[in-house]
Amino acid sequence: MTRWFEDIVVDEAFPLGSHTFTAEEIIRFGKLYDPQYFHTDPEAAKHSHFGGLIASGWHTVSVGHRKMVDALFAEEERLRALGKEPGVSGPSPGVNGMNFKAPVRPGDTVTYTLTVTGKRPSNSIPGWGLLFNQLNAVNQHGALVYHAELVGFSKLRDYRMPIRLRVLQALTRLPGLGKLLQPSR
Amino acid sequence: MPTNPITANRRHYEDLAIGEVIDLGQVTVSKEMIISFASEFDPFPFHLDEAAAKASLLGGLAASGWQTAGLSLRMLADSFLATIASMGGLGFSDLKWKKPVMVGDSIGGTVTISALRRSHGHPERGIVTLDFDIRNQKSEPVMSMRLANLIELRDPLVPLVEAAE
Repeated sequence: MTRWFEDIVVDEAFPLGSHTFTAEEIIRFGKLYDPQYFHTDPEAAKHSHFGGLIASGWHTVSVGHRKMVDALFAEEERLRALGKEPGVSGPSPGVNGMNFKAPVRPGDTVTYTLTVTGKRPSNSIPGWGLLFNQLNAVNQHGALVYHAELVGFSKLRDYRMPIRLRVLQALTRLPGLGKLLQPSR
Repeated sequence: MPTNPITANRRHYEDLAIGEVIDLGQVTVSKEMIISFASEFDPFPFHLDEAAAKASLLGGLAASGWQTAGLSLRMLADSFLATIASMGGLGFSDLKWKKPVMVGDSIGGTVTISALRRSHGHPERGIVTLDFDIRNQKSEPVMSMRLANLIELRDPLVPLVEAAE
């Protein structure tokens, strides 16, 4: 969440809210990213083992991601309102696992919950920590829609850069020399 | 034997082989595509705003990792999933975003069938494991993942025999 790495409590569950999927948005996403007949054509979808139109798993996951981003922004505002400086979250290096469990049909309401299950300082990016997150999506009948094991970055508040890195950073700010020291792209 | 008129003439489980490589073709990612996806699903400033993106870990306006995954899936759907009797995805593992996809980058690559097995609970279903190797125009790896997808059997009455690995 938008908390400093040090402030994140392992095993605390964050409710991310719900989303109701319409046939229109299921088809729109399907046509753009997952054009298989059971995601784009309600008539043809009746012949599938789903018996009708269902959302692409990537659609329900993308909406879950949006819910997480909205929750991060809300937490940021809440902390600012309390006069606190919110933490910084960064891009994600990946997803360890994603299991699609139950199909999402038009009219279904999916409720998302995020739990940080572990954290450690990053080995590759100084000043940042890695968060291991679980995301569960459940439909209005209580059935699990998907379960995800995600990885995210969060900035360390109390990080002091080692002296050799501070010297290197200062050197890269010098014109000319900075270009030489930048890793080639 | 197949009863689904939509997929009857497509390739079924029996028609696939481990080691088959699917060429995904390429897609070029525009600024408009990045902002359109990010506005709906990933509205972090580093996916929406060039100045904010330059100051972030990404170093410039980059596509949401979920959009990279979605575009990869789209290429697989066009080149493979729409040509087989697909029954949808079961999930994926080991998705790694290795390098950001920046405005103007072209991504493409290959998907390799790495495993095939029949479902134990549903004799009419098989599971195909698909390994993604997504690269940019400089051939640098940008994303990899392993997807498990269900596929219809042409003949579910054939007894389930575990193939030797």
